[in-house]
Amino acid sequence: MSEDGLDPVIHAPARLRLMVTLAALPDGDTLSFTRLQDMIGLTPGNLITHLRKLEGAGYVQTDKTGSGVNALTTVALTHNGRTALDRYTVALRQLLDTAEPARQD
Amino acid sequence: MNEGTGMKDNAGTDEAGGLDAQGAAAIMQEARERAQRELTIRRPLIFASWALVYLIGYGVIWLSVRGQHPYQAPQGWTIALVVVLAAMAFAVTAGVTDRATSGVGGTTALRRRIYGLSLALGVLGVYLMEAALRHAGASLGVIGVLGASGPLLVAGVVLVAGTAAWLNWYMFGLGCWLIVVAASSGFAGPAGAWAVDALAIGVPFLVAAGVSAAWQRS
Repeated sequence: MSEDGLDPVIHAPARLRLMVTLAALPDGDTLSFTRLQDMIGLTPGNLITHLRKLEGAGYVQTDKTGSGVNALTTVALTHNGRTALDRYTVALRQLLDTAEPARQD
Repeated sequence: MNEGTGMKDNAGTDEAGGLDAQGAAAIMQEARERAQRELTIRRPLIFASWALVYLIGYGVIWLSVRGQHPYQAPQGWTIALVVVLAAMAFAVTAGVTDRATSGVGGTTALRRRIYGLSLALGVLGVYLMEAALRHAGASLGVIGVLGASGPLLVAGVVLVAGTAAWLNWYMFGLGCWLIVVAASSGFAGPAGAWAVDALAIGVPFLVAAGVSAAWQRS
């Protein structure tokens, strides 16, 4: 955790977008790699790099089925990932709340 | 994960450097709104297309049978019109649903498939029952009431039962309304049932299309 309480694994623009997008799905749902790429607007290489980082922290889970042209990779937010995003959101809100009065002074 | 070509890119540089709290909040809001917009099924089109099936299709059938004493059956071309309108409504429903749910897998997709299958089997069962009743000597009037309202009753029961999986109370309310209309329209007689169904389903569906369009815009 960084000094400001924001999880550094999530606190990067692309990974933040990824986490929020995956959190929009109900629990137990997955999103295909290609749809996720289309929604986030990253290159495949970029997306893989960020997903590996999130997967390493246990925040997302990827599964691959089939092979060759029938290969399908799906991505889902894990329970830990949802909890981590909730924690991140709370920390961010606290930061914004404390910054607001300071700006008004 | 093997999508892509393993190309070198600047992913490693996309870290928190320069991302302040306001920036992070803006990214979260934009991503949340985009996900909601893209993953939500646009119901106004679905409601409107089915409203046409009832208002035009059932309405035309009623116009063709209202003068029949005793009741015979709808003319072939009016049944064909309903089939064409229903096929178009199915196509719109499938297209709109596919646009939102493309690439989405897991529990929700499985529920949706089971839900669609239940509806299709139920409606098919109604038409088979119509044939069975005819075979058993039921009058054309009885067949007419079942043909007009049977599919609505099935759709209503599937919607109400589907609430157990989706916990969507609008769906529950709509299902209850379909059951009430289907169960009571037969009292208007075999010809009148088509008119009652046309108005009692078509008009609320049209209203629902407008309301959900306004709700999705807000």
